[in-house]
Amino acid sequence: MDLLPSDEQQEIAAAAAAFLAKELPIDGVRARRHEKRAVDPEVWARCANLGWFGVGVGEANGGVGYGLVEEAILFREIGRGLAPGPFLATSLAVRAALQTGRIDLAGALMAGDCFAALGLPRDPDAAVEDPLYGAFDLIDDEGASVLLVAGPGGSALVDVSALGPVKRLVALDPASRLGRIDLTGAPATVLPHADAGALFERGTVLAAAILAGTAEAVRDQAAEHARTRVQFGRPIGVHQAIKHRCAEMALRCEAATSQVFFAAAAIDGDRADTGFQASSAKIVATNAAVDNARDNIQIHGGQGYTFGNDANLHLKHAHAVAATMAPLRWHLAHLLDLVPAE
Amino acid sequence: MDLDFTDSDRTFRDEVRTWLAEHVPREGRPTQRAAMRAFDLEWQRTQWDGGWAGISWPEEYGGRGLSLTEQLIWYEEYGRYDLPDIDARFVGISHAGPTLMARASDEQKAYHLPRILKGEVVWCQGFSEPDAGSDLASLRTRGHVDGDEMVISGQKIWTSYADIADWQELLVRTDPDVPKHKGITWIICDMHSPGIEIRPLETMEGESDFCEVFYNDVRLPLANVVGEIDDGWGVAMSTLAFERGTAFTLSQVQLSRIVEDLIDEARDRSAPDGRPLIRDEELARRLATARAEVASLRAMTYAAISRSRRQGSPGPEGSMLKLFFSDAAQRVYRLAFDIVGQDGLEYRSRSSAGGWSGKYLYSFSQSIGGGTSEIQRNIIGERVLGLPRG
Repeated sequence: MDLLPSDEQQEIAAAAAAFLAKELPIDGVRARRHEKRAVDPEVWARCANLGWFGVGVGEANGGVGYGLVEEAILFREIGRGLAPGPFLATSLAVRAALQTGRIDLAGALMAGDCFAALGLPRDPDAAVEDPLYGAFDLIDDEGASVLLVAGPGGSALVDVSALGPVKRLVALDPASRLGRIDLTGAPATVLPHADAGALFERGTVLAAAILAGTAEAVRDQAAEHARTRVQFGRPIGVHQAIKHRCAEMALRCEAATSQVFFAAAAIDGDRADTGFQASSAKIVATNAAVDNARDNIQIHGGQGYTFGNDANLHLKHAHAVAATMAPLRWHLAHLLDLVPAE
Repeated sequence: MDLDFTDSDRTFRDEVRTWLAEHVPREGRPTQRAAMRAFDLEWQRTQWDGGWAGISWPEEYGGRGLSLTEQLIWYEEYGRYDLPDIDARFVGISHAGPTLMARASDEQKAYHLPRILKGEVVWCQGFSEPDAGSDLASLRTRGHVDGDEMVISGQKIWTSYADIADWQELLVRTDPDVPKHKGITWIICDMHSPGIEIRPLETMEGESDFCEVFYNDVRLPLANVVGEIDDGWGVAMSTLAFERGTAFTLSQVQLSRIVEDLIDEARDRSAPDGRPLIRDEELARRLATARAEVASLRAMTYAAISRSRRQGSPGPEGSMLKLFFSDAAQRVYRLAFDIVGQDGLEYRSRSSAGGWSGKYLYSFSQSIGGGTSEIQRNIIGERVLGLPRG
């Protein structure tokens, strides 16, 4: 048993953080907010070159051959750096394509030749069947080849060309692009039940990893501000009203990140309680990200309320990510129905 | 990173499980103090005889010399039973013992450590004073050297089990003329010494676990000083850092069992409209959140143990475990009180069956004892996040 990243895993994180800081800095979220695609296609191709869309895919299938732990480590950095773009959808779509025999699609997604959008069912429990019906919110669908649906009702791939007209909406989160559609019988490649459940659990842990990264990013932003912002002649961080708020932020990060790693290692280790651990991770990480983002805005005062400060971007992105892989209230209800942890 | 236990870990767990099933005390823990002492020490003696005392203590001190992983497994199995998490053995096993291992002389270690493990003695803590709580370093109980003795006068407070203890880890002011952290000495106090007066304090929970201790020219041999005279602050800090590390593992394991018990209670109990309480949306949401929180508390414990194994000590992150645990415990027992409803109006001690009212009241001590939550937040802010000191 070891719940800390190994040296190799720390190197994965450091390399990802360095790449994201250079190629996908947070300023880009503001700069590209009116572009159809949240990520420059050239940068997306470089992410593909790094193997990011096949981290947890076996080498025989063209992936890197790591486990969900390494994937979670990468997604935590994606959250920490507020990297926009369909990372979660594309990584999950690769697995879904492999599990349904769509080898060419998996290869194209991993190579960065195309990417996937996320389809969030308005009713998370609605059955995912072929043909597919129901209302969906679409994240980062503009320019996407395929729509990935992964939820408690099942998982499927839907070709974007089969979708029909998508209603465009202004996204709350400048790092996402948002559409809405009512599907009335779209042809869907549906995953077998066991594979769909496993994909949803993996997606849940990766969404939680992004949220844990968000919680850490705003903790660090708040602590930096508390150390350097001077009022009444002293850094505001000397005051317990600020210091204790920051300490609570650090505490939420420790809980969220530890639980994300626990859940990822539980899935890699084929434990019996993976659903319990994954939902726990999503719950704790969602609360950590949103509560920390709120505290960070408060600690920044007037600056925190401006669009030019990163604080608001993290809050908005936290809500967008929290909505994926079933919302908080679904995970709370689900967790209570499960048998106790192993 | 993995959650895998080795084959030998699994064998160890099976042995622990089998042994506990056969040896955990069946009779309830007495409330009469002398009988309680005998009960706690007898249980320690039983563990010693079974080879389970001091699992992660070095063999030279009578321990098993195993790793924190085996210690974790022991606590995980032990926590399945409704035994007190902190009883009269706690200070000796989890506090004084580790401090003595780190800082005591060979003679002190050879005398005291085996007696702690064999269940022959009860230890208590003499740190807090009426005017030195969170500001512990301002303590004023005096110790002055007279020949080969130290003479103690003053008062300590909040001393759990002082009335049934044999030994005390005592902090005294030996030099009042230097900055406050520099004139403190850590000394082993024989609680049977002439000049010690103990007055039990009734707690809001209703049990008299802790006491005031008065020292009227109590004479202790200088050989009882641990570390150097005036170097007691450093010795005490090694104790407190340990307390905030792995010492709460058992409490964490027990809290997750409590949450499961509470979920069962909510399934079994009905609301006035006849539906099970667990269908109440607000209670269900709080129960699910509690389940997720104790899951993450366990994950934090695993991370802390992994960190301790790599770094040799838990570090300031131990404050996070302490803070998260005490907040979570208070939320859980408040939730328990809401679930049992009017049954909670009947007082039942925390150790009795269905003792939710006692457990709820006891939970208020969690964010105060062992360093208040406010002090933990200062530590996290300053030592983890690098915020300026006030």
